[in-house]
Amino acid sequence: MTSCDHCDKPAIYHDVRIANGVHNTTHLCAEHAMEAGVSLGPIDLSVVLHSTENAISGDISKACPDCGMTVAQYKKTSLLGCPSCYQTFSDELNSIITQVQNNNTQHIGRAPAQASVDLTRHLQIRRLLKKLESAVSQEEYEQAAILRDKLRELHTSGEPNEN
Amino acid sequence: MKIDPDYNCPFNSDHTPFGDVVLSSRARLARNLEGFPFVNRSTTSDCIEVTSLLSQICTKNNSNLQLKWIEMDELDSVTTEMFVERHLISSSLAHAIHPCAIAVGPELSRSVMVNEEDHIRIQSIRPGLQLTDVRDDVHQLDLLVEEIISYAFDDQLGFLTACPTNLGTGARFSVMVHLPGLRLVKDLERVRRACEGMSLAIRGYRGEGSGTMADLYQVSNQITLGNTEEQLCNILSEDFLPPVIEWERKARMTIAKEQSQRLDDQTFRSLGLLQNARILTPEEAMNNLGNIRLGISLDRIDTIEISTVNQLLIEIHPGHLRWKYGKELDDDELNTRRADLIREKLGQ
Ligand SMILES: [Zn+2]
Ligand SMILES: [Zn+2]
Repeated sequence: MTSCDHCDKPAIYHDVRIANGVHNTTHLCAEHAMEAGVSLGPIDLSVVLHSTENAISGDISKACPDCGMTVAQYKKTSLLGCPSCYQTFSDELNSIITQVQNNNTQHIGRAPAQASVDLTRHLQIRRLLKKLESAVSQEEYEQAAILRDKLRELHTSGEPNEN
Repeated sequence: MKIDPDYNCPFNSDHTPFGDVVLSSRARLARNLEGFPFVNRSTTSDCIEVTSLLSQICTKNNSNLQLKWIEMDELDSVTTEMFVERHLISSSLAHAIHPCAIAVGPELSRSVMVNEEDHIRIQSIRPGLQLTDVRDDVHQLDLLVEEIISYAFDDQLGFLTACPTNLGTGARFSVMVHLPGLRLVKDLERVRRACEGMSLAIRGYRGEGSGTMADLYQVSNQITLGNTEEQLCNILSEDFLPPVIEWERKARMTIAKEQSQRLDDQTFRSLGLLQNARILTPEEAMNNLGNIRLGISLDRIDTIEISTVNQLLIEIHPGHLRWKYGKELDDDELNTRRADLIREKLGQ
């Protein structure tokens, strides 16, 4: 058991900062942690999010098809790259989500209403077209076929007289 | 819109219920647009598309909201600093180099940050215990946006956010509480344990690098998934605050009864210092204002309104002082201005 940097009581707050290659560790008891103004809660987010070595295993070069983010990159930033990342990395993220959300796995709050003017769909189409163009120009035909399917899907899901 | 930080101080809790303990209430929703990468993987043109979309939404004919749209690169450094101190924007948005923006209500209590960690961060802050009101505020803004664009949403995970800690509702509710009594009777540990048991996070209100100032603590829900917005709000307003307010009030009464000499010494020592000092750092000013606030709540001082102290707890920060007295002021000059302002407001 580690004791507090300022007294002999057991530490409940632990932090490691690396600056210029030097590890600075802080251990604080409850009282000194409150005094220091650090964030305290039932879940130690810095531990869960930043030491994900055990939580995320497997292929670290696995990439999101939509934004290109890899598991390795996620490990560095603890941020996902796009909404699709949650699907792509669902296996890897499962235990992290369970930990940071205190074993909650199902959303029960409000859901957004259907947008009446769906600007996003138009933008999505534009973005896919851009990607398709670059895929074709770089002769990545497999990728281009995937994008073309996605575009077709988007078109059929929209209003019938639109393109 | 004229921006006036003197108006509508977010800590002005003097006429609100439990205003002796709860200084302010805040709500924040994290949202992302479907069809775009999250901000950390956005290109400059993605960021521009998102800001231009949001500017149309925030400035469209919404007479009752009256949001003012401001691109961050057009906002001067002093107003930016002042906005950070009022929690209208985060310091990471203030220092961002990618295209980002803020829509802010004229009363400086509601704001929409665009291209922060998530595309959209909707916020509201009100003085005192007004969690239901701030929840309504952000909900209203949320509806305004979702009417026009689709949010990234998943039936299981809820609103999809860049960081998994914001999944689900994307909602963070918080209160700023003043707990000088519990510190003096050495019972803050009880509050921390209460937080732990309710999945709440607690952190001291602090300046740059220093510790907790003025016995002010911010308490917020740590989890965002698996509870409704209302449930998350109720953890604070129904489970956490009633006992904590009672503990704090009891602690204050105990001190007044059993340690009245110590209380008087602390109160009038702080008052004497603030009424006479010519140079005050933020920490020294904040901590002594906190002591005076306790003294007023226990009727030790009757010549100073608690609202004056509440307002000073915001006004003495660097951005607010620079906004008032000139953007060129360096730290030494700020310390002098801070002392002048406090002497003027707490004048004998
Ligand atoms: Zn200690
Ligand atoms: Zn992705």
